[in-house]
Amino acid sequence: MKPVKSLFDYIDKIPKDKALLISVDYTPDTEAELQPMTIALLRHAFCRKIKVGVLTLTLLGLGLAEDALRVVTKEFNEKAINNEDSIIYGRDYVFLGWQTPPLVPLLGMGESITKVFPVDYYGNRTDTLPLLKEIKNYRDVGIVVSISGSAIPMWYVTYAQTTFGVKVGAGFTAVSAADYYPYLNSGQLTGLLAGMRGGAEYEELVEENFKIKGRRKATEAMSAQTTAHLTIILLIILGNFIYFYKKKK
Amino acid sequence: MKVKLPLVICLIMGIMGMVAYYVPHKIIQDFDNEWRNTALRIIFAFSLALGVGSIIRHHLEKIKRKREFFKYSYVTLISLFLTAFIGLFGGIDGKGLIKMQIGKFNFDIQTIYVNMAIPLGATMFSLLAYFMASAAFRAFRARNFEAVLLLIAAFIVMLASVPPIARLLPKLLYISEWILDVPNTAAKRGMLFGITLGVLSTSLKILLGIERGWLGGK
Repeated sequence: MKPVKSLFDYIDKIPKDKALLISVDYTPDTEAELQPMTIALLRHAFCRKIKVGVLTLTLLGLGLAEDALRVVTKEFNEKAINNEDSIIYGRDYVFLGWQTPPLVPLLGMGESITKVFPVDYYGNRTDTLPLLKEIKNYRDVGIVVSISGSAIPMWYVTYAQTTFGVKVGAGFTAVSAADYYPYLNSGQLTGLLAGMRGGAEYEELVEENFKIKGRRKATEAMSAQTTAHLTIILLIILGNFIYFYKKKK
Repeated sequence: MKVKLPLVICLIMGIMGMVAYYVPHKIIQDFDNEWRNTALRIIFAFSLALGVGSIIRHHLEKIKRKREFFKYSYVTLISLFLTAFIGLFGGIDGKGLIKMQIGKFNFDIQTIYVNMAIPLGATMFSLLAYFMASAAFRAFRARNFEAVLLLIAAFIVMLASVPPIARLLPKLLYISEWILDVPNTAAKRGMLFGITLGVLSTSLKILLGIERGWLGGK
């Protein structure tokens, strides 16, 4: 699908001196649909060796972001031959954590990321991390991708993009993705991952282009989605058939 | 004073927020940054304390008066204090001030989150599948022309996201994309204009003190 390909192509062309900022803004109830997107984005970034910053604007996203980072860094470090290939915290990625209220990181990161997050999720001073010595604010960020089950990516469009001009991409649950096509068509969203299918397409693009093998949970879940969709369609047809039959009688 | 002071604070804060957006002068921007990074964080920290105090008071009240399902209030309060203790003293990986490990059994905050919070959240959301199936059978009726159009569009979009069907009928993907890109976007755009105008007028009414529902009380 075009929205997925646009996001993939944009991230694929981010210069090496810019970072990918992933905002993990979903909760455990949408984890099954959205976590594969986060994992696919992390795989893409690590394959391209671009720097990654991860943060969350929702408290419950912390554990999910930590889990995704643990899974992907373990995958890459198990196959690493030397220090260059390894994914090292502080050099290749940082986990900034959570700040409240959301307005603080949304606008504050336009001036200075280390000022908004003086310590990272693990308690390290952010001004000592090598990655954050190069990535200071939104000007050093290639794109912010917010994955959410609600309208949180729109906060990035409203505050971060309008004030600082940073590019924004988004991942949504399938039920809410249709609401954000106006933003995609106007160019405010660079790309859009819509639901499980969007996640599966992104996983496919990453595997196709970088020849890496990792568990593709969104792709695996497509068979369950197929069954669910066909069941719903069947139930609608059956319900309408019985309704018209009774009406005729 | 009880009503006038919050209204005045609301007006001043609203004006400050708007001025900071439009005026790029260093003094205004520095003040806005300082206000956001310091004062706003302190206010929200207090609101966290308020929230926790509120939930404790609500459940203690429920237990005291033995209201319906009051036994679940014990579960809520015990879980609250236990996870707070584990999070505060155990650190992220259970290697904080107090070790959250007995032999090979870990009960650090991340383990609790991954093994309890995620499955519980996923279970609650999964219940929706049964409601969806029930609604599909009972409620989605092609009663008139618009309902038929809606159902056809829904079928096309749902079938297009099913890989075997999308492979058998590749044109379905283009039609689905067109539905999302054109009629859906047109309708959503119209709704967004309306919603935005509504938000703008409500925000102005709140800032100017015309709308006072947020103050609470009579």
